[in-house]
Amino acid sequence: MFCRKNVKRALAVLLAGAIAAGCFGLALAAGGASSEGPGDVLPPAEGAYVPTNRDTRPAPERAEIGCADLMGFSLLYETDLVRYYWRDDRDVIAVQDKASGYTMKTGVDLPYKDEVTDAVKALKKSGASDEEIIAAAQSYADDLNTTYVGIANSLVSVEYYDGSRTAFMGSAAQEGVTSTLSPVPGTDNRFVLHVDYQKPDIDLNVYLTLEESAITYEIPREEMGGADLGRMLSVIFTPFLGASGGRLNVFDPETMDYVKEDAYRVPGYVLVPDGSGALIRFVDNTSVFDPYVGDVYGRDPATSTYYNYTLMDNVPINDPVMPVFGIAHGRDQMGFVAWADQGGEYMEIVVNPDGTKSTTYTWAYPRFEYNVEYYQLYDELGNGFFDHLKEPFDYDVSMTYSFLFGDGTGATPAADYAGMALEYRRHLIETGELTSAGLTGDIPLRLDFIMADSESGIIGTSQVVVTTADDVRDILTEVVRSGITKVNSGLLGWQKKGESLSKPYKASFSMAIGTRGDFESMMEDMAALGVDVSFSRDMTTINQEMTGYYNTAVKCVSNWYASVDKSWLLPDNLPTLVFGYATPTKTAEWVRKLADKVGDMSGSLTLSGISNVLSANYSRTGAVTTLPEAVALYRKTLEDISGGMKLNLTRPNQYLWKYTSRYLQMPVGNSKYIFETDAVPFLQMVLAGTMELYAPYANFSFYTQDCILRMIDYNVSPSFILSKDPSWNLSDTYSANLYSTEYELYKEKIADIYGQVNGILREVQGMDWVSREVIENGVVVNTYRKDGMERTVIINYTGSPVSVGGTTVPAESAVAAG
Amino acid sequence: MRKDHRAAGLLRRLIPAALSVLLLACVLPTSARAEEATSYTYMWDEEDGWFRTQDAYLPERTVTELGLKDPGDMFIDERDMLYIADTGNRRVILYDIGKGVVAAEVSGPEMTAPTGVFVTAKGELYVADSGAKKVLVYDRDLKLDREYGKPAAPIFQNTNFEPKRVAVDSGGSMYIISEGVYSGVIQLANTGEFLGYFAVNDANLTLSQRIQRLLFTRAQLANLIDANPAVFTNVFVDKDGVVYTATAGIEMNGMKKHSTDGGNMFKDPVWSNEALVDVYVDKDGLIYTCGTQGYIEVYSRAGEMIFEFGSQVTNSDVVGLFNRLASVAVDSRGYIWGLDAGKGYLQSFKPTEYAQTVYDAMNLYEAGHYEEAMVKWNEVLALNQMSTLAHNGVGKAYLHAEEYDKALEHFKVANNKAQYSEAFWEVRNTWLQNNLGWMIITLLVLLIAWKVLKLFDKKKRIDACKEKLSDTLHHTPIVKDLLFAFKSLRHPMDCFYDIRRGRQGSAVLATIIYAVFFLVFMLFETSKGFIYQQVKVENMDIGSIVLGFFAILILFLTCNYLDISIHDGSGSMKQIYIVPAYGLLPTLGALALVTVVSYGLTYNESFLLTIILMVGIAWSAVIIFTGLQTIHDYEFGQAVRSLIMTFVFMVIIAVIGIILSIMWDSLYRFLTSVGKELIQNVLS
Repeated sequence: MFCRKNVKRALAVLLAGAIAAGCFGLALAAGGASSEGPGDVLPPAEGAYVPTNRDTRPAPERAEIGCADLMGFSLLYETDLVRYYWRDDRDVIAVQDKASGYTMKTGVDLPYKDEVTDAVKALKKSGASDEEIIAAAQSYADDLNTTYVGIANSLVSVEYYDGSRTAFMGSAAQEGVTSTLSPVPGTDNRFVLHVDYQKPDIDLNVYLTLEESAITYEIPREEMGGADLGRMLSVIFTPFLGASGGRLNVFDPETMDYVKEDAYRVPGYVLVPDGSGALIRFVDNTSVFDPYVGDVYGRDPATSTYYNYTLMDNVPINDPVMPVFGIAHGRDQMGFVAWADQGGEYMEIVVNPDGTKSTTYTWAYPRFEYNVEYYQLYDELGNGFFDHLKEPFDYDVSMTYSFLFGDGTGATPAADYAGMALEYRRHLIETGELTSAGLTGDIPLRLDFIMADSESGIIGTSQVVVTTADDVRDILTEVVRSGITKVNSGLLGWQKKGESLSKPYKASFSMAIGTRGDFESMMEDMAALGVDVSFSRDMTTINQEMTGYYNTAVKCVSNWYASVDKSWLLPDNLPTLVFGYATPTKTAEWVRKLADKVGDMSGSLTLSGISNVLSANYSRTGAVTTLPEAVALYRKTLEDISGGMKLNLTRPNQYLWKYTSRYLQMPVGNSKYIFETDAVPFLQMVLAGTMELYAPYANFSFYTQDCILRMIDYNVSPSFILSKDPSWNLSDTYSANLYSTEYELYKEKIADIYGQVNGILREVQGMDWVSREVIENGVVVNTYRKDGMERTVIINYTGSPVSVGGTTVPAESAVAAG
Repeated sequence: MRKDHRAAGLLRRLIPAALSVLLLACVLPTSARAEEATSYTYMWDEEDGWFRTQDAYLPERTVTELGLKDPGDMFIDERDMLYIADTGNRRVILYDIGKGVVAAEVSGPEMTAPTGVFVTAKGELYVADSGAKKVLVYDRDLKLDREYGKPAAPIFQNTNFEPKRVAVDSGGSMYIISEGVYSGVIQLANTGEFLGYFAVNDANLTLSQRIQRLLFTRAQLANLIDANPAVFTNVFVDKDGVVYTATAGIEMNGMKKHSTDGGNMFKDPVWSNEALVDVYVDKDGLIYTCGTQGYIEVYSRAGEMIFEFGSQVTNSDVVGLFNRLASVAVDSRGYIWGLDAGKGYLQSFKPTEYAQTVYDAMNLYEAGHYEEAMVKWNEVLALNQMSTLAHNGVGKAYLHAEEYDKALEHFKVANNKAQYSEAFWEVRNTWLQNNLGWMIITLLVLLIAWKVLKLFDKKKRIDACKEKLSDTLHHTPIVKDLLFAFKSLRHPMDCFYDIRRGRQGSAVLATIIYAVFFLVFMLFETSKGFIYQQVKVENMDIGSIVLGFFAILILFLTCNYLDISIHDGSGSMKQIYIVPAYGLLPTLGALALVTVVSYGLTYNESFLLTIILMVGIAWSAVIIFTGLQTIHDYEFGQAVRSLIMTFVFMVIIAVIGIILSIMWDSLYRFLTSVGKELIQNVLS
């Protein structure tokens, strides 16, 4: 046993000599805050490239070696790369890079205000010497209250309902919490921290595994207990690991009193998997923001607060498709990437940028949800009340923090977002979730077709056909004959009634679009040309014009069908504007049925819905399907059908990557929160070479030269959605938002965009993408390596030519070098 | 897509769900997602409303470090200096857009609550200060030059003077929006003299308010009716001295471009944001407005809606979406700047190539360069095939080029019936010129052939055939009944007398006529020629039309029967059923004729269709009236009374039906709630 906190806390005050003013408080006077603002603030010299948060800026400055003070810590475990220290009274682990000495702590490592001020008062009263008082007068947080100091130090905290409000309690909290760290018998690198929060009556065990340069935290659900477990909302790990900022009360020896000072703001950033990836740099915000909350795999509609919601006219934000985040300090100094091994379905990534919750810290942490608040309606007028689940979710948590040091030439990948991507990719390859796809030669081109959709008619609905099976043959043949040979295609709206009102699993062909024979013949012809044409289908989005909801649609915990109102986005005159979700069981069943019916016609199948909508399903008696069950069901389903065909998935979540051959509609950028300072191709770097990656349709605001360069920069292939007839025919259908699809209008654009992107990316196809560097604003250098060969792709977004390593890159263009 | 007609109701539902909208927005995949913008861009079509288009503007710079507190207004001068009325900090900030720095700050004891700013061509800064109840004027060096307080004119003495916004024309006349003033925009001379109210908004009274106004005393009205007109929220004067105003709370004509007498220069109604808070005009005359909910609109000089973007989602902290949008301004590059009063920051938007192409096309067309405009419009169409603006542009260019067939196609997609009609007139004219000759010849040939045939038909075989056919038809019961029905149109009294006596009239035929009438009526409603088909089938509530048709028919028959049961009419239900059927034949014919002829007529000949329809309806009305009078054996007065009573009964039954429907709805909800409670809390 290492300690019992209540006893030791009093001792700690006396023990402290010149205790560090928190993790980064040491370098109080060192350097100012970064001048970078959250969005773009200061445009540089006239004519220079003005970056926005759609761009990546140069790497941060080098950081001061902070956190080196290990007073009160004892060595816990040591590897070739790292020393792990433990501070028992505050539940803080210090991770020290043996090579550089750079140290990160899992908490702020600050005392409670009362402890310090009381001790100082006592010393003054007792007539102690100035030296004694100065030695005892530790710095303490100015912008963290007692609760937050506890959480900011703690290794593991819980969030729970306290009557009508949500409260937090950390493992290092003052109020009677006990936490005990013990070694796991028979191991030297595994420990268990038993935490008993007492108020609320919740206790749990956290298992720590200290590895070469990584820590894994595990909380088995069966080792959670206490009478108040039902009130526990969530568990959070080390929220202040890698945090930056803060304001301190520092003891001034001159005046023998405390003065307020801003703590050292580390140059660095938080990486969040928002879209392709976003950086939230540690900056001094003057505006107050709400926290970033990335709900991994999207919010579960079955346990959302309200059973229905309305999609409005803002572009939807990107939900994380992988349970990962990271923090980097300085330039190539130290960082970590953290991912959930278990419990990702319930994980949220929370980042509080400077200014949120009245603190000047920027801090990030994973939050594992165990209970939710939902609105229980009891009539259709909207009357109801808020309630919680009777039983918390039943799952184990496992979270790994892998630490990165240096510029990537050492034992770990570089301590930046590229290194984080490489480390996460290594983990996924190691666990068999990703494998090399063996891509070579030209990059592929994706040409999808919208064939038909439904609109309101005099009686019921009528089908509007804009592309037939024969049209697809003609268009693809023309494209291939034009010289683009690596083409694949997905057919949307191929069933009778088109995309929105046909049943997902039915192979219902029509004369107007094409009979089964027409499709078979076309697909055979295309296969002969080397073009893979597949049927495309959304397997999750349903409506009551398409199918009955009984036993088919997802029910929320409130026992109402989960629904989405799209009336702001679709024409008013459609038969229904409200959509639901197919249950995981139905979705899986339909995928199998469709694969059975059309699997022999094509070498691949294109699926959406199942790929990135993760929902549980409830009945009056409780969960019918939980999120982990849904994940297992989808994995099994896709595993079974992927043996006979390639799977093209729209924005698939991480748990389906193993079965994905083509990643469609890949985000190229982030959701553009104001506090997000950079967009980075984190997702692309994780997946590069393991599957074909396709950009969003170039038809819709993604066709400019800047967008083309972004495709090259992010290493993604272009994609288009096409039709034979003009898209105005679709203006009264569910596909009204496909406002520009006619092939004749896109013929030249396809050739141009593909030519530009392929011209560069074919040079590095099949090579490992090892780093990405921003030389100056608007100039990016991507480095690829394979078999000792190195090539770079230099992308110049600026309006002037630039010279990089002897290679001149014209304005707004890209060059492959090396 | 804005759904303003239901915005209020939705808002109530959306407030608790606002955060979840953002969090959940990605749960369902959307078919096409813009990667660069944060809100969708929409264009406007009169018939279909809003439709999505390529991004017109992309969020560019977010300036958060100015420390603004509840800013109210902003203005950009010719040097791209952005002036912000930083109300909460009692100052005006000059932000240099080019350098990205605060260039100067204006404050002083005279400034207490600056809410509006305007800068003249001479560089004078006018500040509307609602706290100081003055307009403060600073010279080019930002030194306080003069102040304008409440005008001394006696007529103004009882009027509140708390200037919220100000704009100034080249003559130095000030246009001031004052807090709590409903009379209009206050116009002051450069001497501070009150010149009058420049523009006034009308008070829009509801029907009940109008009735109250007629009946109530002045004291009662004062208590009951808020008859104040909608208040102006902003005013702007462009480089040519034209005054623009913004008014909140109205959906149409909230944005006005004023003539010198204060009238609205826009002839057609202009859709406007209900939460309109600012209007701005750039150097090219494009008009920009914004609403507090976060939408920015761009209009052409003529008030034609070009783009709208933004979203009603607040507290999102996403660039380009606003917490509370207070003001909009445009710099010399055409970048739009938005001022967020809620969180105190600036956001700029860069026009995309698409937006620039649209503006170029419009400018070229207005300058009379039709061919160049068509090239640009076609570029726009390549990016958005649903753009009515572009289709109209291309259509007009084709019209000028006398390529009417092509113009027709584009006007049809744009749903521009007036210009379609114009192009169609030309197409039809050409067709007639090309074909009229042989048509007349064919007609003459057929006529002559007929005459010749008759001449050579010595044995009168043709007449015999006709007679035989006539005999056959007259002996077919349904045809016989039909001929009788047609006869009743010419001799209604005789025929309906026969029906009354039970000698004639067929319920079967009546049923067939009703069925055919229904079909023809539906065709008339849904399938007229493009020019005359005012509502697209997709936009029709077919269920309501069908239900309405049969409900009215059944109600009429039932109510008439009820009435004659009370007032001793002698007609039977069968006769009541037959008479309207026979009587509807002229209307049926008129509807069929109008439906067919509408394909060949332009707007110029619309009177023909009106006449046909009027004749048919009037004829039917006469026949039905005569028929009912005859079968019920009523005098004229009795027949009129009977019809009036029939209509009164119809209204009463309809009202009762609506009340029952509402009650049933409530009862159903109550029963299902009880049932659910039982199942949830008792049985389980």
